[in-house]
Amino acid sequence: MGLDFVGRGTEETDGNIITTTIDKVVNWGRKNSLWPMPFGTACCAIEMMATLASKFDLSRFGSEAIRFSPRQSDLLIVSGRISIKMMPVLKRIYDQMPDPKWVISMGACASCGGVFDTYTLIQGVDQFIPVDVYIPGCPPRPEDLIDAVLQVQQKIASGASPKGVEVVYE
Amino acid sequence: MSEENQVEEQPKPLVLEKLEANYADARLAQDASRGTVIIVIRKERAYAVLEYLKTDPELAYTFLVDVTAVDNSQMESELMQFDYARFMVVYQLYSYQGQCRLRVKVPVHENDLNIPSVTGLWKGANWLERETYDMFGINFEGHPDLRRILMPDDFEGHPLRKDYPLRGRGERERFNFDKQNA
Repeated sequence: MGLDFVGRGTEETDGNIITTTIDKVVNWGRKNSLWPMPFGTACCAIEMMATLASKFDLSRFGSEAIRFSPRQSDLLIVSGRISIKMMPVLKRIYDQMPDPKWVISMGACASCGGVFDTYTLIQGVDQFIPVDVYIPGCPPRPEDLIDAVLQVQQKIASGASPKGVEVVYE
Repeated sequence: MSEENQVEEQPKPLVLEKLEANYADARLAQDASRGTVIIVIRKERAYAVLEYLKTDPELAYTFLVDVTAVDNSQMESELMQFDYARFMVVYQLYSYQGQCRLRVKVPVHENDLNIPSVTGLWKGANWLERETYDMFGINFEGHPDLRRILMPDDFEGHPLRKDYPLRGRGERERFNFDKQNA
């Protein structure tokens, strides 16, 4: 959570005035208070729950405010296999999230279908919704999910726009 | 089949004795596997036999554990001996009273996929028969609400049939979100 965007104060101001840009301040705020929308459909969701619970404690990174309404969220965590019957639901939830929004595709099934190369399973949710960070694993460890959240934070801090945004906000 | 000899050494199960006495015309074959008696019965008599198995006070198979089906179209087996039926509808029964299980199999021909629904005997058959309809296309006559239960309503085909391609017919790539959200 370092204030790495802060410009150096001058000797006259004695460090009481900082200089920065509005984008950097906004992104600093966004990255440290991601509100995830969990979309857990399988065993990856169990790991996601463990990540949120006390042992791994995602709140250390400012992302513990899980919202079960997509309208209050800006980070979609797709954790689990998505069937062709579920994909319209996921797409609709993604569409309901306000911009800017980020997507983590957690685990092998969400990212590429995993071992379920069958008629009923979507072979990667990125065919239908834009994904910012992929997590390999079956299921991934909670540390992997934390790493993915940190990567999203890095992406926000760098000023890069989410995958799902076509117009770049500068 | 190796357990067949083992079964014959034991006393004959009550259910087989009673079925032979009352429904000898319905029985096509019998077998046993890991202590479970398996009987294959004629479709025309299936409902009557199942009703008897449930309501007979000595047998009392009151719990319908599962209804499913098997597609034998790619199987070479001695089970094919009684004139080839592509599907085999399977009823798993349990008797709390006798604490024993029973598997009832009913051959269903491909050109006549109708079979009487047992929802009138066991209410729990409702969703089980819907699943069997969804996956195999077996038509349960008299079912109160025979719709797909697992696959989307607009899905075409019955995916657990052996001739359905494992990776589907392109439905997992082809999507019309506008239609689904309408």
